[in-house]
Amino acid sequence: MIMQPSVRCEEFVADVTNWMEGALDADQRSLIEEHLSICPDCVRYVDQLRAALTVLRAASEPAPGPLRDALLAALRESRG
Amino acid sequence: VASQGEPRPEGADEDASLVRALRSGDEGAFATLIDRYSATMLRVARGYVATQEAAEDVVQETWLGVLRGLDTFEERSTLKTWLFRILVNRARTRGEREARTRPFSALSGADAEPVVDPDRFEASGRWAGFWSTPPSSHSMPEQRILAREAGALLIAAIEHLPPSQQIVISLRDVQGLDSNEVCEMLDISEGNQRVLLHRARGKVRAALEGYIDARELS
Repeated sequence: MIMQPSVRCEEFVADVTNWMEGALDADQRSLIEEHLSICPDCVRYVDQLRAALTVLRAASEPAPGPLRDALLAALRESRG
Repeated sequence: VASQGEPRPEGADEDASLVRALRSGDEGAFATLIDRYSATMLRVARGYVATQEAAEDVVQETWLGVLRGLDTFEERSTLKTWLFRILVNRARTRGEREARTRPFSALSGADAEPVVDPDRFEASGRWAGFWSTPPSSHSMPEQRILAREAGALLIAAIEHLPPSQQIVISLRDVQGLDSNEVCEMLDISEGNQRVLLHRARGKVRAALEGYIDARELS
């Protein structure tokens, strides 16, 4: 008979941020990590989550042009 | 991803040298800082105030406040933390003047939705709660992760989130501020911050999964 992991995937997904943020106690953390060690689908879930965070940190969003121009004009004015 | 254990926040040294350049009136340094932070500042401010115009006013006033305060900025915090503290305080004050409901006054119904569609898990039987439709098995090459297209797509996903989630994920994951700084700045508990971050990250991951799948199929 196949042994079931003690944490289900749905519970893993619900707790993933608490785990990543270091907000679980030692027992909860070891259950989550045990699940991750035997569940390739949840490993993929975490990989995608981490990839999304990498994309966000690398994303560049330039300031809107008019705001940028107004601020640079204010800097020039402040220098007299 | 963990927010603990970093001796110096990411980008802090570079910001410090930009502050020195700015103190000497270097316009290029100011332009770099404006480009680095203003889009996030607008999104955060917009969560507190009624219109895009009001959010732009708040961002502009914040930068002008920074220019005026540069000589007294003691660099006990990073420029980024100082900047976003000023921004949130100004946006909150403006929002109160407009009699707007604060974005963090209560966790909304949208905050209580699961981050993955429950239909993707087995509903009953021995394997209830395990994946029935698991995350896409397509991998994402590094160059694609860093592609401008992927960044724009995930930023667009953030812009569809409720304001409280937009603010938290923008400060934590776009700008890389740490958990304590963000809780203090927004005057929310760590637990509430984690709930908002969890919802927001879940939706951003789903957007990335959709992007990876669409690229594989095309």
